[in-house]
Amino acid sequence: MAIREHFEIPKRFNTWSFALMGLGLISIVLLYITHGSSKDPHESARFWASLLQNSVYFLLVVNAAMFFICATTLAWGGWQMSFRRVSEAVSAAVPVMGVIGVVILLAIVFSDNHTIYHWADTEHVQHDEILNHKKGFLNKGFFTAWTLLTVVLWSVLGWKMRNLSRQSDGKQMSVEEGKKYMWKNTVWSALYLVVFALTVMSTIPWLWLMSIDAHWYSTMYSWYTFASTFVAGVALITLFVVYLKNNGYLEYTNEEHLHDLGKFMFAFSIFWTYLWFSQYMLIWYANIPEETKYFEPRVQGPYKGIFFLNIIINFIAPLLILMKRDSKRNYTTITFMAVLIIFGHWLDFFQMVHPAVSTDHVPMMLYDLGIALGFVGLIMFLTAKALTKAPLVPKNHPFFKESVIHHT
Amino acid sequence: MAEQKFVVGNFYDEAVLFPAVKKVRKAGYKIHDVFTPFPIHGLDKAMGLRDTSLHTAGFIYGITGTTTAVTFITWALTTDWPLNFGGKPFFSLPAWIPITFELTVLFAAVGMVLTFCYLCQLAPFVKKDHFNPRSTDDTFVMAFECTEKTNEAEAIAFLQSLGAQDVKVEVRETRWWLGRYDKDTRPFGEQKELEAV
Amino acid sequence: MALLRYESQVRAPLVDGTKDYHQVTEDICGPVEASPSRLWWIGFIISVGLLIFGIISVTMEVTYGVGQWNLNKTVGWGWDITNFVWWVGIGHAGTLISAILLLFRQGWRTGVNRAAEAMTIFAVMCAGQFPIWHMGRVWDAFFVLPYPNTRGPLWVNFNSPLLWDVFAISTYFTVSLLFWYSGLLPDLATLRDRAKLKWRKMFYGVASFGWTGSTKHWQRHEALSLVLAGLSTPLVLSVHTIVSFDFATSVVPGWHTTIFPPYFVAGAIFSGFAMVQTLLVVTRKVLKLEEYITIEHIDVMNKVIVLTGSIVGIAYLTELFIAWYGANGYEWYAFKENRVNINSPLGWSYYIMMGCNVLSPQIFWFRKMRRSITVTFFMSILVNIGMWFERFVIIVTSVYRDYLPSAWSTYYRPTIWEVGFFMGTFGLFFTCYFLFSKYFPVIAVAEIKHILKRSGESYKEKMDTLEQEDPEQFGQEHSHDHGA
Repeated sequence: MAIREHFEIPKRFNTWSFALMGLGLISIVLLYITHGSSKDPHESARFWASLLQNSVYFLLVVNAAMFFICATTLAWGGWQMSFRRVSEAVSAAVPVMGVIGVVILLAIVFSDNHTIYHWADTEHVQHDEILNHKKGFLNKGFFTAWTLLTVVLWSVLGWKMRNLSRQSDGKQMSVEEGKKYMWKNTVWSALYLVVFALTVMSTIPWLWLMSIDAHWYSTMYSWYTFASTFVAGVALITLFVVYLKNNGYLEYTNEEHLHDLGKFMFAFSIFWTYLWFSQYMLIWYANIPEETKYFEPRVQGPYKGIFFLNIIINFIAPLLILMKRDSKRNYTTITFMAVLIIFGHWLDFFQMVHPAVSTDHVPMMLYDLGIALGFVGLIMFLTAKALTKAPLVPKNHPFFKESVIHHT
Repeated sequence: MAEQKFVVGNFYDEAVLFPAVKKVRKAGYKIHDVFTPFPIHGLDKAMGLRDTSLHTAGFIYGITGTTTAVTFITWALTTDWPLNFGGKPFFSLPAWIPITFELTVLFAAVGMVLTFCYLCQLAPFVKKDHFNPRSTDDTFVMAFECTEKTNEAEAIAFLQSLGAQDVKVEVRETRWWLGRYDKDTRPFGEQKELEAV
Repeated sequence: MALLRYESQVRAPLVDGTKDYHQVTEDICGPVEASPSRLWWIGFIISVGLLIFGIISVTMEVTYGVGQWNLNKTVGWGWDITNFVWWVGIGHAGTLISAILLLFRQGWRTGVNRAAEAMTIFAVMCAGQFPIWHMGRVWDAFFVLPYPNTRGPLWVNFNSPLLWDVFAISTYFTVSLLFWYSGLLPDLATLRDRAKLKWRKMFYGVASFGWTGSTKHWQRHEALSLVLAGLSTPLVLSVHTIVSFDFATSVVPGWHTTIFPPYFVAGAIFSGFAMVQTLLVVTRKVLKLEEYITIEHIDVMNKVIVLTGSIVGIAYLTELFIAWYGANGYEWYAFKENRVNINSPLGWSYYIMMGCNVLSPQIFWFRKMRRSITVTFFMSILVNIGMWFERFVIIVTSVYRDYLPSAWSTYYRPTIWEVGFFMGTFGLFFTCYFLFSKYFPVIAVAEIKHILKRSGESYKEKMDTLEQEDPEQFGQEHSHDHGA
């Protein structure tokens, strides 16, 4: 069998992605009518919080695909080569998702409604000793500049990495050329990771998410957010791999690769739990009012159910289901788990964003789910489009053959 | 004591060993064991050994550890002698997670290693025979059992034809350490086992 | 397919030179069978000397009490807890290399894992000394165990991070030992079968548990190693996490911060790798194992050092930033005045920490530096000094100027017996390491043989045809798709 290098988007796929996008749009409109247009700042903030949660979550998730590529490149991993173009295609959604994210974030920051970002209210800040202290970091200028710079850097470096990958498509490389090629890849991945460390692993979650609870702080927050989105990112890649496989593409990707993706989902679900537990337990144990305030609505308030569901979906389920070797090699189980994990971490983001805005009740989640599906449709559309633009397999990559004979 | 005869052949290359294993089993000989200096992936499958369920044992030990830790601490700190530590509830599960985790790992690891040693009959002062001391260096040693029906000369010639060197008939007392895997080994051709070869 | 030995020629070989299985055995077991060199004796005697100094120091402490140390009212934890955390940290690299890198399938680990694991065990042994002797009335040390006693029975405080430590360190020690020893069995059997002297036959015979290399045993052994690796991976994270809980569960400014767990783990890996480098750079030279622990291995480990050093750097900055951002006056004071202010009594230690751990490893961005033995050795020492100061900064600078300025005058400085105790653990560590490197194979023989035909230099050279084969054709010939 020759390699099927060119992906043609099946009609059904397109129908689905447009339908989902339509559903998303309808949800946004509905949510705007019911809440967004309200005069009550809390009501309209509920609309914006929903957009914020979804756009930031899905942006970080698609960006995690590029992190996956760069991390495996730096580690000189060979096994993922047979489906590397899939990860690339997922990451190709970053610029568009980034623009959406930036628009939403800046709209919230520059609006007159400061329910989400208290610190954007300059007048309020003057009377709030703590926010006044934080002015040097939490201000509109820095927020805008850093957000824009971050999204641009992610997009440009991601584009560079994908471009490098395309360069291998010509003819087979000699060993010397291969070494040079790997060196170039390593350098750019390292650069990407530096940017990643300065954004996702530190400043960006502070600015975008932690500052919603503007008085509260936790040093773990950014690493925690990273773990959350990374495991969801791997799950997303897995879903696309399974989809392509089911449609007869990716001849050289098989259970062995799926098994490893499953291992990643398993391991990083546990890693996420580890960070979750460390953050929660330390705050619970030290019991300092400024810190426990954050968990009050989440553990004892209306968000209690979501709080525990979060742990069940994101820890107990992957732990028990993905522990077995066979379940990691089973297309159905792995698909189910990937969907569950993406949903689980979406839920995690839900309880990160909403309690600060809707403190006394859990907002109706149907709208949010609709919007989330809209974003899913958009990612499907963007990824599929990116998949058509390059051969599906980087067959001349120096490590491609290793991926073919990969055995777990 | 009863004695058992073995035909023992030495191989120096995995690429020769694998087809030989296959052919020996096909010819109907019962492989006693193949001794190798390092693990060879797929050899167990080629020999028709069933998968080990050591993992499952480990899982059970781990669960035992978890339960032990949680029940014991709960009992000690809520029933036997409740004490107020820093205003926390008597049942402070988050604070017990670390010890619970450690005991899970401890039970699983110690249990598995002991099980491993038991199954393989390994312990200090145990002496076993593996026919050729070079089998822990660079030689793959295959031994198969002879029954009354076995024609030794034929067996030797057969093994030599498969690429084995210094093929000999050796006699060993059947003592406990000889180790037999009758229950572990499937007859040849029963499953799609040989895809690994 | 199982027999297809191929890896890209773009990767550097992991075993240099022309080797066959027997040659590997000879190279690695040879030093074990030779009589020790003069260098070995000198090193060993120095180590034993240090160990004796340590024993004397501890004897002083036990005889006259913890008052022999300069701990004071606010600095209740001084050198000894710093040393404890430092040694535990070093004890992380071995399990990391053998477990996490096994799961991540990093082939280069085979060259260094055995020595690193041994080092781990010795480091944990050293670490364990500190909390034990710090108890003062060490004869009552068994009070930390939850056994039915005549005092009620009053149980130990399961809510206390210090008790978590007891469980974590002892579990870690046990599991590392089991992991290491189960991996050693086949290699000890190799030594047993090679032994000519009677005592060697006896010693390795007993030590190898009667290992034969039976296929069934290997199958179980592989399963055991994988599961132990799977267990050790969270275990290794948990140990330093729990050590960090000792600090982070408190409400002491400078100690209570949620990033401590992963940040301590990253630091532990960082310092552990540095110690592995220190030892292996010397070991490979003395035992002539340059073909097994190649420049490539050193290069990769230096990459890990720059990576973990940078992660630690991000954590330092995060901590510092949030101390300001949190707008808690006490927290910010601990950072600003007790650490960052270079003119404060211990401010210098913060800069040693930053310089050694964050800035200096950055030279490993350059390939030339990574591959230089001298730079590597020098840097590995520097990193370990830096990591010692990290713990010193965390422990001492957070408490030496507490809420009561009247307590501020008591500047903490260790006594000779505190220093002696620390030196003694060096003695213990190196005595063990010297004995290990003499009587045990410092490289996992069986594991090297396992990767030899894939990653050995002479075998890789023969892979030209596979390397040049058209990828599509290669795929058709060797793919093993079982059908979706």
